[in-house]
Amino acid sequence: MRISTNTIYQSGISKISNLQSEQFKLMQQISTGQRIASPSDDPVASARALEVSHAKSINSKFADTRQTAQLKLNTLESNLTSVTNMMISVKSAMVSAGNPTYSDLERGFIASELKTTLDGLIGLANTRDAAGNYLYAGFETDTAPFVANASGASYVGDSNKQMLQVDSQRQMAVNATGDEVFQAGGNDIFATLQNLVTLLNTPLTPANQAAFTAGVATGLTSIQQGLDNVLTVRASIGSRLNEIDQLDVSGDDLELQYSKSLSEIQDLDYAAALSDLSKNQTIMEAAQKSFVATTSLSLFNFI
Amino acid sequence: MASNILNIGKSALAAAQVGISTTGHNIANASTPGYSRQVVVQAAAQSQNFGYGYVGQGTEVASVTRIFNDILAAQAVRSQANSSSVDTYRAQMTTIDDMLSNATAGLNPAMSEFFGAIQDLSANPSDLATRQSMLSYAQSLASRFQTTNNRLNEVRESVNSQITSSVSLVNTYAKQIAGLNDVIEKAVSANGNIPNDLMDQRDQLVLELSKQIKTTVVSQGQGGYNVYVGNGLPVVVGKETFNLLTTPSPTDPSRLEVAYQSNDKVTVLGVNSLPGGVVGGLLQFRSESLDSIQNQIGQIAAVLGETFNSQHAQGFDLDGNLGTALFSVPDPLVNANAFNSGPSTTPANANPAEVAAKIVNAKALTTSDYKLQYDGTNYNITRLSDNTTQSFSSLPASVDGLTISQTSGTMLAGDNFLIKPTQNAATKFQVAITDARKLAVGGSVLTGSANVANTGAARISSPIASSTYSSSPIAAPFNITYNAGAPNTLTGFIATEPVTVTSTNGTTTTYAAGAPVTFVNGATISTAGISFVISGAPNNGDQFTIAPGSVTGPSDNTNGLLLGGLQNADTITGNKSYSDAFGQMVNGVGNKTRELNILSISEAQVLEQITAAVQAESGVNLDEEATNLIRYQQAYQAAGKMMQIASQLFDVLLQLGT
Repeated sequence: MRISTNTIYQSGISKISNLQSEQFKLMQQISTGQRIASPSDDPVASARALEVSHAKSINSKFADTRQTAQLKLNTLESNLTSVTNMMISVKSAMVSAGNPTYSDLERGFIASELKTTLDGLIGLANTRDAAGNYLYAGFETDTAPFVANASGASYVGDSNKQMLQVDSQRQMAVNATGDEVFQAGGNDIFATLQNLVTLLNTPLTPANQAAFTAGVATGLTSIQQGLDNVLTVRASIGSRLNEIDQLDVSGDDLELQYSKSLSEIQDLDYAAALSDLSKNQTIMEAAQKSFVATTSLSLFNFI
Repeated sequence: MASNILNIGKSALAAAQVGISTTGHNIANASTPGYSRQVVVQAAAQSQNFGYGYVGQGTEVASVTRIFNDILAAQAVRSQANSSSVDTYRAQMTTIDDMLSNATAGLNPAMSEFFGAIQDLSANPSDLATRQSMLSYAQSLASRFQTTNNRLNEVRESVNSQITSSVSLVNTYAKQIAGLNDVIEKAVSANGNIPNDLMDQRDQLVLELSKQIKTTVVSQGQGGYNVYVGNGLPVVVGKETFNLLTTPSPTDPSRLEVAYQSNDKVTVLGVNSLPGGVVGGLLQFRSESLDSIQNQIGQIAAVLGETFNSQHAQGFDLDGNLGTALFSVPDPLVNANAFNSGPSTTPANANPAEVAAKIVNAKALTTSDYKLQYDGTNYNITRLSDNTTQSFSSLPASVDGLTISQTSGTMLAGDNFLIKPTQNAATKFQVAITDARKLAVGGSVLTGSANVANTGAARISSPIASSTYSSSPIAAPFNITYNAGAPNTLTGFIATEPVTVTSTNGTTTTYAAGAPVTFVNGATISTAGISFVISGAPNNGDQFTIAPGSVTGPSDNTNGLLLGGLQNADTITGNKSYSDAFGQMVNGVGNKTRELNILSISEAQVLEQITAAVQAESGVNLDEEATNLIRYQQAYQAAGKMMQIASQLFDVLLQLGT
């Protein structure tokens, strides 16, 4: 076949420039460590990488939300620990109040101790979290949920549960409402305490002895019920915290899997890339040498 | 006799000279684009009969011919048009491909951050700083949408300007070809010889023209070329040229189209009549890829905005007010065709029709554009992506989540409008709320419940407040009662409000305020800006209650959780979430670019092969020319030697006389 001089030069240039663009691509991959520079390099993997990084970012957001939930539940738990301790002290005070050898004066001491406890409990029930929101107010976290009055305290919050999306399929309540903790099933701890204070402040006479004993017994039962209720709430919080821990573990697993898939999708196989590069260099050298050798041959050299 | 020998020597000398100068010409033009090597065609001169036989009279140069193959040249022209079309398309796609390559600057991270901020807000609904930060992320999402679409608009602009310059090149080449036609025809008719170099120039111009647009050449008798571009539009006929020009599309002034001018008549050419070359590549890129990519991004923006707004309207803000729109999503773009009837047309229309479109159901929105055409009786709405047409006897009409209505004027038969629901949605996608307290993450505006005493198995869906509900919310609950009979009816709606029932197949029936409403299982019932669905089999007397929700405390995040849930909800036509739709778009761009990369390499190879074939035949080989040089040099020397011998013969004769 007849070859024109133009063709010799043209094909030499185009082969070498193809090799150069391949080399550029390899160098770009090696310097970024990424196999895919733009979606056209691997359309399926690019879309997959988007999906995975999207899922990864959602997953890490859930981890953030779980941290918030954990903080809220821990605050609640530590507050309820104090509530529990106070109620246990009430119980022991009540046991001693039932002691028939006590004088009115001594019962008065116990009454004032209970009164202090009542105020303390109302204080605990009106605790705010770090953000200044009342813990036990339901959704109405800008208003103190319990207002002290002559018969104990009245609840002005609501019964709403604040839910947080702690995992893709799990919304978890992260609060406990005042009525649920302190007034469950109509058993109002504050009213009970106020009644006990009134009872202990009333001088004991043979006429009201029976009523006193019955009152103390009712009080004890009510406090015990209240305590059981607080412990139930705490158990539920504990199990939620436990669930969060488990969700964290599976979330971390997912995170790891996503990172691994992302790396499989996007990351460069350095060994392959470097060997490709050196192969490319060899071919390039050969192409350059043969181009120079071919073009330097000319009949004009001999005329 | 001796003079005859001298003459023969002279003819040989002259022929060798022509040979050397032609070889020299070849060497000089070895790298001239489009040059075809020339050869001297030599023939023996007419011999003379001397009685004893014919004696040769030397040589003569019959012609200097260029080595040129019409068929290969036509193939090269065709292949050049294909290759440059694919290459242009590829270059444009690569811009978009590169634009999407940055994983951190794409739309996806902005969406993830935005929804992350909603999660944060759900955890701390009363915290103003968190609210403000959610608003900032909304802002940054909106600006990401805007930037993305603005860059696509820049690409659109650059397509316009490239079309303009390419069309002007086409016209320039056409003029030059017509000029050469004239010169060549004159030269040929003057002495019958072909002006080789002018022919080469013209063929090279044809090849250059085919880079811009698909070109076909038909040779005429006297050496003239008739040149056709695209699908057979004559641009050069002999010495005459016809112009291509650019003109704004009649249905979209921002879009430059290529038009053809003949006899003062301008015809706008569609993408199908202009294949090949830069022009073909650009037009194909715009109609096939750019429009669809921009529409897809617009669809994500519009659907995200509308679905978010609709959910946002279901909650209360920090001050207990009903949620308003968080994003402002632009209405679909409607362009009246410039050729629609107006005062200057026949029949005259002093008051031309204007049309508007609204997005009413974002979830049904497609990425297509639509064409509304009035034929005198019916309004035909065509979805341009698959050319399906629906006919309506009157406007407003609803198609794919859009409501199209005539806002003013009189429509005449033949009027048409182009409706683009999504193209500009991303550019004009904005955050409509500036006060962070107005983020409605609390509560739910309406509740729906079936009466506990119901004996039937029918359920009522959560009622949804429309975007207009907040302006006139209901004050008290109302009870809807099911009455069995023929037909089965529902009663108990608000006495002053009409009721609209849209069945699952899209049939809409409106009942006057207070009238009993026929029960349709599963139909969407809308009244007073509230819509809900009653499905299942109710029994006579069953009741359903719709009640206004109440304002709850600042930590209420009920609606916030629902807003957050939109992230992975299948909100976009075809059961896709926002991020699915974006991923699909990226995948589409990647696939198309990859396909074009491969196609462009293969087209380039075909072109390279044809060029090599053309060169193999017509190109200059310097070694060959060197050989020719030596050959003609020796021929010249030999002829000279012969003349010397003739002279010596003559001398012999002269010496005889002395």
